Amino acid sequence: MDFLAEGFRRALALLFSGDAEVYGIALLTLRIGLISTVVACGLGIPLGFVLATRPFWGRRAALTVVNTALAFPTVVLGLLLYGLLSRRGPLGAMGWLYTWQAIALGDVLLALPIAAALAAAAVQGVDPRIRRTAETLGAGRWRTAWTVAREARFALAAVITTAFGHVVAEIGSAMTVGGNIRGQTRTLTTAVALYTSQGDFGLALALGLILLLLALLVNVALQTLQGRGHA
Amino acid sequence: MLELVGVRHEYDGRVVLDLERFAVPPGAALAVVGPNGSGKSTLLRLLALLERPTVGRVVLDGAVVTPGGVARRRVTLVEQRPILFRATVRENLAFGLQVRGIRRTEVNRRIENVAARLAITPLLGRRRHELSDGEVQRVAVARALAVEPDVLLLDEPASSADRAAALTLYGALAEERARRPLAVCLASHQLEDAYRWADDVRALADGRLSPVTPENLFRVDLVAAERGDLKRACVGTIEIAAVTEKTGPAILAVPPTDIFVSREPLASSARNTFQGRVTGLTRRRAGDGAVHVTADVGVELVAVVTEEALHDLALAPGSPVVFSFKASAVRVF
Repeated sequence: MDFLAEGFRRALALLFSGDAEVYGIALLTLRIGLISTVVACGLGIPLGFVLATRPFWGRRAALTVVNTALAFPTVVLGLLLYGLLSRRGPLGAMGWLYTWQAIALGDVLLALPIAAALAAAAVQGVDPRIRRTAETLGAGRWRTAWTVAREARFALAAVITTAFGHVVAEIGSAMTVGGNIRGQTRTLTTAVALYTSQGDFGLALALGLILLLLALLVNVALQTLQGRGHA
Repeated sequence: MLELVGVRHEYDGRVVLDLERFAVPPGAALAVVGPNGSGKSTLLRLLALLERPTVGRVVLDGAVVTPGGVARRRVTLVEQRPILFRATVRENLAFGLQVRGIRRTEVNRRIENVAARLAITPLLGRRRHELSDGEVQRVAVARALAVEPDVLLLDEPASSADRAAALTLYGALAEERARRPLAVCLASHQLEDAYRWADDVRALADGRLSPVTPENLFRVDLVAAERGDLKRACVGTIEIAAVTEKTGPAILAVPPTDIFVSREPLASSARNTFQGRVTGLTRRRAGDGAVHVTADVGVELVAVVTEEALHDLALAPGSPVVFSFKASAVRVF
């Protein structure tokens, strides 16, 4: 118990002392998390909308692929990305291996199927009369889609929260393609793993608490936004 | 003129609508009546260009129109159980007007106008969860009227409304039709409303226009009687005997002019004799001398009698009455 209590004390001290390394890691994690969530949701939510509403050949197969991708092991994803981004890989010329962009790319690929699958479920949950009503009142395709999305906005906000949560908590891909380089690609999760293995439990715990705090802040922000539009 | 031409519509291979031609003329007040599952809602959805018919075409003013085209802005449907958007009533009324790019001042003017006509002005600031089913229905009709369509399609518009609200609704429709050319086609199971309000009443049964009058039309399951050629069908709490070769699912119609009306059971050859009470008396066409007597005899049936017969029988709402008709008078199809 002393060990745990000591860990918490050190964690709080680091948090309130404004330790540059701790906050540097947190800011990098936040930046990567936000960018990859925006890109993944920007692509995934419209994809989920199409999967949920547009009948096309192979739609069922596409849904199966997206749902399967939800369970894709992040370490394997990191491995494949490593192959693509390494000097001899097809994307090696980009020079992204061991950069934060590589971590963000991995996070986008991780969160994209989450956003698409959950958005599809959210849109399918909207009463079909909403779409028919928008159409019969003269709305075109885009306005109808926007109206349906507005009805599903609480569920779509949950999609964004979930995607962000997965992205900031991800470690397998970040470790493989990011390399956990101090000051460059060290994120909260890779740092927690490193400092725990080095026996610096207090620092690892401090970073873990920040991770929780980030998730909490994003949730609160989204709930505040949701609160502005009641049923 | 909005028309369905040579239309057959299927769901999962099952034909739900089969119409050679169905037209809604400009400015018409048209009612489509029929039992549940007769295809009324499908008919309205095809007319509203929300679905494409499996076979056939939808024609508006001589031109073939399809879902997704601009023609949809001229036809608006209010569904049987309408839904409001997650917004205030005012925002709901504004939706169709904003879609059409109408200026804000005109949007507000039309909202105030239509809300006053449908007596929903006090509701304008409310949201959908703060409204009763009847209020939602009136708001939905107001939302449809606000966009001033050429054709308004209404699926059971008074199903959630009380009598006063239904009268307000029909009054608003009449006022709108007096104000500008508007064709209204409503699907209803309330025959009295249909006859009172519409210029033209058409019956739909099993997806086809019915050759008989729409009163006393029932979806039944015909079973053979123990003796003879008669078939029997349970309708409400009564059992109707019919002469037919058909068994199983069928549409059964009892022409109102074939029902004998009396105060006491008659000794007659009629296989169907039911006692009940008069629930309504309606004179649908001024001067034709016919009175429609509606009675609850275990199920609601309508019979037609002359003014003279009505006087002789001294029938009034609440009076005991006997309806009799022959098994051979029952139409089965």
